[in-house]
Formats: sequence, C-alpha cells, structure tokens
Amino acid sequence: MKNSKEKQFYKERYAQQDHSIATKDRVVAWPRMGNIDLSMGALVSSLGAKIVMPPQNTNKALEIGVKNSIEGICLPYKLNLANYIMALENGANTLMMFQAPGSCRFGNYTKMAQKTLKKLGYKFDMCVFDMYQSKMKQTLEAFWHVTRCLNPYRYYKGFSTGFNKAFAIDKAEKLMFYTRPRELNKGDAEKCYKKWYEIIRETTSVRECKKLKQRVIEDFAKIPIDKDKIVPTVYLLGEFFVLLDPYTNQEIEKTLGELGIEVQRQIFFSDWLEHVLQPSIFYKKESHRQRCVRFAKDYMKRAIGGECLETVGDSVFAAKNGIDGIIHIMPFSCMPEIVAQNILPKVSRQENIPILELVLDEQTGKAGNITRIEAFADLIKRRKIVNSKL
Amino acid sequence: MTLDNRKIKKIGIPRAISYYTNYPFYYGFFNALGVEVVLSDKTTAEIIKNGNKYVASETCLPIKVFVGHVVNLLEKGITDIFIPSIQSTGYKINNCSKIRGLPEIIRNVIDKPFNMIEPTFDKTEKIGFKDFWLDTANSLGITDKKLIKQAIETGWECYDNFREMTENGIGYTTALNNAINGICEKKNMQLVKPISVAIMAHGYNLFDERISLNLIKKLEKMDIKVYTSLNVSRQDSIDALNELDETQYWANELDLTGVAAHYLIKQKIDGIVALSAFGCGPDSLMIDEIEHHAKDCNVPLLHLNIDEHTGEAGFITRLEAFADMLLRKKRQKLKYIESEEQVNSQPQKQKVLLTVK
Repeated sequence: MKNSKEKQFYKERYAQQDHSIATKDRVVAWPRMGNIDLSMGALVSSLGAKIVMPPQNTNKALEIGVKNSIEGICLPYKLNLANYIMALENGANTLMMFQAPGSCRFGNYTKMAQKTLKKLGYKFDMCVFDMYQSKMKQTLEAFWHVTRCLNPYRYYKGFSTGFNKAFAIDKAEKLMFYTRPRELNKGDAEKCYKKWYEIIRETTSVRECKKLKQRVIEDFAKIPIDKDKIVPTVYLLGEFFVLLDPYTNQEIEKTLGELGIEVQRQIFFSDWLEHVLQPSIFYKKESHRQRCVRFAKDYMKRAIGGECLETVGDSVFAAKNGIDGIIHIMPFSCMPEIVAQNILPKVSRQENIPILELVLDEQTGKAGNITRIEAFADLIKRRKIVNSKL
Repeated sequence: MTLDNRKIKKIGIPRAISYYTNYPFYYGFFNALGVEVVLSDKTTAEIIKNGNKYVASETCLPIKVFVGHVVNLLEKGITDIFIPSIQSTGYKINNCSKIRGLPEIIRNVIDKPFNMIEPTFDKTEKIGFKDFWLDTANSLGITDKKLIKQAIETGWECYDNFREMTENGIGYTTALNNAINGICEKKNMQLVKPISVAIMAHGYNLFDERISLNLIKKLEKMDIKVYTSLNVSRQDSIDALNELDETQYWANELDLTGVAAHYLIKQKIDGIVALSAFGCGPDSLMIDEIEHHAKDCNVPLLHLNIDEHTGEAGFITRLEAFADMLLRKKRQKLKYIESEEQVNSQPQKQKVLLTVK
C-alpha cells in the first residue's frame, strides 16, 4: 500500500546505517528515558550485544548537552545529546534511538545529534527506528541490523523479559505513588521501590520475569498504610520525556507524595509500548489515545502532534472521574504543549478542576517550583475537605 | 459555533500567518464563489496588545498577532472567520504544532460566539487540496461542485500571477495588489546593487511591517539588494536543498532554508539575514542548519530575534553594522581579485566603486 513518496522517505532513513562495524565489536548505547533501560537492556543483551549505559542525568550531563547544542532547542534534546556523548566516551560505538517523524522537533533529534557528534569527531553508527502505529517490523529490523541474531528464541526471550520488566517496574511505580502519601513509616514505599528496581534489573530468566509483577504487588501490600486518610489525587500530565525523567521534573512525584498527595500518571512506558508495538488487529481495548480523542472532542477536533491531544483528553477525563487537580509540566518552548497550555484554562473553567502549569528548563530553580507546588497542594486539600463536607 | 444551512456572504480573513503567502489564492477562490472577503486591519501595537490578552505568555509572537487579528475582525462585526489548519504539505512533512492547531487555539481562547471555518489540509492523512477547498465551500453553504472547481482554478490563476511577478523581482505589496486586480506585469525588475542579501524568514514575519519592523525597506535604504522566499520558485528551492544534502522536514521550511540554500549555491549573495520569532521551534533548527552551510561557503549570517518588545533602535544598529561588515568584506575580495589579475598580467580596467548612501 505504500506509495512512492513513502518508500523514498524510508529509503533515505535507512541509507544512514553504517555497516562498517563488525557485529561482534558492537557496543550498544541509547539515551535515558525513564525506566526504558531495563527493557532495552534485557532485549539487547539477550540478543548478544554488549551494552554501555550512559550515567544518570545530572547537572554535569546537562552542562555537556547545553554546551554542544543550539540555543533554541528543547531540553530533552540537550539531555539526549549528553547521553550520547557520555556513552561514546565510555566506549560505545552503536547508538540506538527511536523516533516518530512529523510530530514535533523530536523527529529531528537524531539528524541533529548525528551532525553534532560527527563534528565533535566521534565514530559511531546510529540506528534509528520508528515506534508509531505498530511498526513492529521496523523495530525488529533495527535490532537485526545491530545484533545479526538469527535465533528466534533469543528474540522471544528478549521481548518477553523486556515487556514483563516494563510492566513490573511500572506496577511498582504505580504502587509507590499510591503508598507514599498513606504510609505510616516515612520512606517505606521509596525503599521498597528501590529494592524492586534492583531485583527487576538483575532478573534474567523468562519464567522469573513473568512472576515479577505479582511479586511486586504482594510485597507492596505488606507496607503498613493508613487506609482512612483523606488523600487528594493529582494527575501528572504533559510532555512524555519530562514526565518520565526524574532529573528533569525534579522528582515532582516524590515532592507531591511527601506532601500527602497521590500522584497518578497517565503516560507509562509499558502502556505506550503495549499499544505502539502490538499490531492493531490484536489490540481490542480502547487505547489511551482513542480515549483522549473521545474526551477532548469538545476542545480539540484534530491531533496536532506531540502529546497535546493526550494532555487535553486526560484533563477532561480526570475532571469527570473525581480527580482533585492536574499538574501540567512541559519543557520550555515545547510547541505542542504550548497549544495545550492555551486550551487548559478553558478546560479548568468549564470542568471545574484546578490546573497548575510548570515550565521546566535548565534555568529552573527548584525552590520556586516547590513553593508553587506546596501552594497548589494546600489548595486541592482544602477543596477536597470542603467538597467532602457538602 | 454551530453550522446552520444559510449561505455565508461575508468571510473574514485575519491578516496573519497564511495570509501572507496564500492570500492571492484565497481572494481568487472566495471571489469566484461570490463571497466577499473582509480583511482585518494592518498589524498595530494595539492588535498585538489585544492578542497578548488572550493567549498564554509562552506563545510565539506570530500566534499572538493572529489572535489579535481575529479579535479585530470580531470587533468589525464579522461572524464568519476563515482559520485553516494546514497540517502537512507532503508525506510526513508537517507544520509547526501551533499553526496546525490554530483553530484549536482560537476556539478555546476566545469565548465570543462566532462561526469558524476550519478546513484541514493534511497530506499525511490523505486529506488533499481539493478536499480542503470542498470542505471550505461546504461550510460556507455552497455545494455546487462545478462552481467550486472553477473557483479553485481562479484561485490558482491569481496565485500563479502573484508568484510570477514576485519571481521577476516585483515587490510584495505591488505584486499582491496587481494579482488581486487581475494584472500580471511581465517586465523584469532585477536591480543591480553593490551588495545583496538573502532574508530567511517566514512570510508572516517578514511581510508584516510591524513584526519585521520594515526590515526590507531598511535594508533597501542602505542600498542593499534583498532576496526573499518569494523570489525563488518552489522547485528551485527544493532542488537547492537536495543539493546541500538536506531533506525537507517542515512544511514551511522552504521560506527559510530553501531560499538560503538557493542563493548560497548560486553564489549570488554576500550575506544572509535570518529573522525569527523568539521561541520559534522550527526556526531554531533551520537557522542552525543553514549556519553550517553558510560557514562552509564563507557567507556571514545575522540572526535577528523578534518579540513584542523588540526595539527599533537596536535593530537598526545591528543591521548597519552588518551592512558595513559586508561592504568591507566585498571591497577586500574585489581588491584581492584585482591583485590576482595583475599578477596574471591580464590588465582589465574594471573598477567597481562601492558606496553607501
């Protein structure tokens, strides 16, 4: 069904691949985004390639990124570039990155990063694959290009453990969000999550990985919690990367949890993975995106790229499902989220739900944001108490 | 914002965003359908202020101006406003999110009752040019397919005339007026001036005299020949981009990279002036892209960032400094060529005197 333009488009993309590096010499790295390294690590190592992980995002990483990128680009790119540079310094020679062309500036990331890295004098092969509209084939092709692995069992093992690890870690995160504001001994949930993060990372066998999610649920149930406490719930919405990266969002979930507020995040890596990679025929449930389209239809009639539609749709969904407030976070100058920012005041007015906007960039001070979050927390707590008396 | 089965006689077009590049087509099309076109006033400080009142502070200047123009139309008593959503002009060649979501922004930002005519143009989703105009005509209450087809042809005629005139070097305002009045001047107006400069900027930034602070006129006053995106045909700019090994990623990319690439390859220019709004996502990437190539070709580039607070004095100083620099550079280059020629013992008495008014 592909027309010639489409073919041309993909031809150009795959022409970039470099075949000069021998398969056995490949050392694979990818940029950090939330807990993606658990699943990717499981998959790539199961296919038999060596892995180098870039260090955690820190101020140092951001400094490297800012130094080497242009002024006007958004924050996620700066961190991505820093990840590449740090990984290449640590001996990586193959960089993997997924992208969704035509959404926003995100589609240009790899092109720009390649140019910048080449100018800095690094030698590498960048392997790009698309992850939208169930592009399973292209994903497989990318992994085949990197590993040349023929054994189908290894693919099965890699995908199975990768998926299960993603589900388990996301379940752990969800449970942590639920437990943190209710816990009796402060810090229990955090400790439990960190323990499970390590366990999930260490587990390698297919059978063990399948059990992980259940074990996580059982373990979190053991933490003593105050079940009768009135805990307001907040939806965390906004740009994908900022939501998933704890360095960029300044651990906003932790701050909120400690203020006695339950956080719910609609965008989880595993949900996204599930509906993005599964062929659409097998996906019978209403996907997150379809739900967003349904709820946002009073405010938006068309998708405009990025996560704008998801943000608006989820806000309306939240208001209709008894959520007490919304925190919308975005990196500075993110184009789709600016559109969302323009739409959200009307949603807030019509659906009667408080919304807090936080714009993050490398200059953001933590203290100023904490003041705003605390004020917002007070507001929704008071609203919750007033509403419960009515 | 409901749609009833009445025929719309008057349509308002905000003098912003797609107006600057597509107005001849809009005019031809709506006139052929028998719909009167009402434009908003030219951009003033008042209009920018009005736009500012409604949108979030992070939004870029052109969108603020657009909202201001919509408000201006509403104040004029126009209730049917044409706000197209131009999503993509080719497979996965998308526009900036804010332009794609123009109707969405307007719908949620302005809470006055009015009827928005919001057709979508999206080649990625296979909503083509004809669907776009059919949708427009249908929302105007016109369903006669033959008439619509004719109107599209009239629109193209108008637009082609406009492009032909601008490609021959006729200024924007004159060409626009001529195209609307159905005149097509065929004469060539290529002036020769000591130095020439290509401006890379979106039409809505460059040709809006308030936003660009009259950049073209300012440069022409300094005796500089100005090339803009309207002087290069679409095919030429795509070819030039391919020659530089770049691919088109943004829908309105040709306004910036296309024109710069064309003149860089032709070696017709002494410098590039980039004009972009503060916080513009696509521009930041495109200007960076051209900066690399300009460095390779040894062509200086001046990047001007504008927002609603831009002062005219600072603008002029930067332009003058840039012009002086270009002039000095050109003189040195010519001197160098002359000395080369003397060494090669081929005396040619050809002196170019360069002066600035």
